[in-house]
Amino acid sequence: MQVLQAVHLQKFYRAQRKNVAAVQNVSLQISAGEVLAFLGPNGAGKTTTIKIIAGLIVPDAGQVKISGRDPHRDPKALRSIGAVLEGNRNVYWRLTPEENLEYFGVLRGLSQRVARQRSQILLERFDLQDKRRALTQTLSRGMQQKLAIAVALIHDPQLLLLDEPTLGLDVEATENVKRLVREIAAEGRAILLTTHQLDIAEDLSDRVAIINQGEIVVEEPTTDLIRQFSGTAYRIELEQPLDAERFHKLGSLATVVDQLQIHLPDPETLYSVLDILRPLPIVRIEKEQAKLTEIFLKLVREGSV
Amino acid sequence: MVMSLFLAELKRSWIQLVRYSSEVIGGMIGTTIIFYGLFLSARYIAGPAFQLGDRLDSIIVGYVLWTLMLFILGDIAGGLQQEARTGTLEQLFLSPYRAPTVFLMRTIASLLLNLAINLGILLLILLLTGSQLRFPPSLVFPLFTVLLGAYGISFAMGAMALILKQVQQLLGVFQFALLFLFTTPVETWTGTARTIGWLLPMAPGAGLLREVMARGAALNWMAWGLSLINGAVYFCVGIFLFQWATQTVKRQGKLGGY
Ligand SMILES: Nc1ncnc2c1ncn2[C@@H]1O[C@H](COP(=O)(O)OP(=O)(O)OP(=O)(O)O)[C@@H](O)[C@H]1O
Ligand SMILES: [Mg+2]
Repeated sequence: MQVLQAVHLQKFYRAQRKNVAAVQNVSLQISAGEVLAFLGPNGAGKTTTIKIIAGLIVPDAGQVKISGRDPHRDPKALRSIGAVLEGNRNVYWRLTPEENLEYFGVLRGLSQRVARQRSQILLERFDLQDKRRALTQTLSRGMQQKLAIAVALIHDPQLLLLDEPTLGLDVEATENVKRLVREIAAEGRAILLTTHQLDIAEDLSDRVAIINQGEIVVEEPTTDLIRQFSGTAYRIELEQPLDAERFHKLGSLATVVDQLQIHLPDPETLYSVLDILRPLPIVRIEKEQAKLTEIFLKLVREGSV
Repeated sequence: MVMSLFLAELKRSWIQLVRYSSEVIGGMIGTTIIFYGLFLSARYIAGPAFQLGDRLDSIIVGYVLWTLMLFILGDIAGGLQQEARTGTLEQLFLSPYRAPTVFLMRTIASLLLNLAINLGILLLILLLTGSQLRFPPSLVFPLFTVLLGAYGISFAMGAMALILKQVQQLLGVFQFALLFLFTTPVETWTGTARTIGWLLPMAPGAGLLREVMARGAALNWMAWGLSLINGAVYFCVGIFLFQWATQTVKRQGKLGGY
């Protein structure tokens, strides 16, 4: 089921007498339970797109539908959106987590009673029980971010927009947010996530869309994209250095030996190489995988020439 | 639906009031001291023959209305600016309630608290100056029209805050214009000036309040009708400007303060 459908979004800004194309002809779809990583360099148009989707910026052209409703025309559409926006506090620092959750629950259209029930569930689930009566401003950065995500989920929206949710978080807090994102998607919500940490995108996303200078450069399932950019080469890692004889034999098979690593540019040679290596202990054999980071840099650089 | 929003806003205001009560009490004492300072210096300049009589009472009514106006203005215009800076503003616009509804509920909720605080300021001033104001029940009618105007003006300034983001200085200057507006006895003007008096925001309602509270006159219903129209017009214009400003800012992509 398609939760988000954004078609041909377009946004120009006038800045210092120049028209800046912040977003050009951007179309995005996300289904229930799917995580879309929306990647791009600084100033590419990610935040602008997200805010257009949330109804916070009016596009020059294009249309947004969230579960069939247009957030720019029908305020009911906002009941299906939760958002944690970039570089913002998103919650009241002078209120406690519990008070924030209850307040925003009602603001998003819940009754007081339901808002209170949902707050308790979310406090528990996000591991904020101990801190529910502490002022938000006294919480750690990681907890504040968890609270912001919990608040975004208070009204049980089908679409969650996360603009750089791990910005400024330490390793453990980042892992926490990653785990939560996985769980939230598994509940059947659609998630749009931007991040500059591409390993996070690689780990979490079902699909990747890369935007550069306002235009989408590529949009594909993450595994397909990685497969496409991965070569056919193999890499073998050994436990101990090779003896001279095997080293010599491998040289004749067009492999490259680098201490404990053996590179096989031609996959045909894999079993011949293994025969030579027998019975040496092998740590791992793997097909060389492209990293999302390399793919990203390649696409973004290509796009800019 | 809207009722739950109102109650949630009431709770939020109450929590913040109690939690940061020192700020509130400080503000109350501050505004009282400023008035008392003005009062003392006026008496010093005028010498021992200082006799204001019902003029003093009129000035107190004007001054207390002014402080109420400043609360409402701070709530809407100041609140908008602050929330744009800290980054909660955009979350408010993600509500299925429309933005004016949210802000109206918010300020009506804190109005109850503000009225209580203002009553405190008023009592302090009465104690300090020995003024004898009257409190007939009919004062709620002109008070209502003043509030309508005050909300209208505050929403208009809120619109300005959304668009300009930096309204601190502007608000400062504007506050003095308002002080003038509330303490000028437009109800005693005649001729063309009288007509202008009817058109100024909140002035007709404030004039009626002075008559009722300071001079002990009965409420003139005819004049009240006019002040109601005055309040309603300013209120509608304010809401309209606010709506217009939100749309403009959403088009410029500057809601959160780019
Ligand atoms: N309100 C605005 N007025 C004028 N120009 C703007 C406005 N908002 C964004 N821009 C410009 O539009 C472009 C896209 O900005 P946007 O914030 O969407 O990028 P982003 O992909 O989120 O970048 P980052 O990774 O740095 O967050 C940038 O060139 C930016 O300078
Ligand atoms: Mg951004």
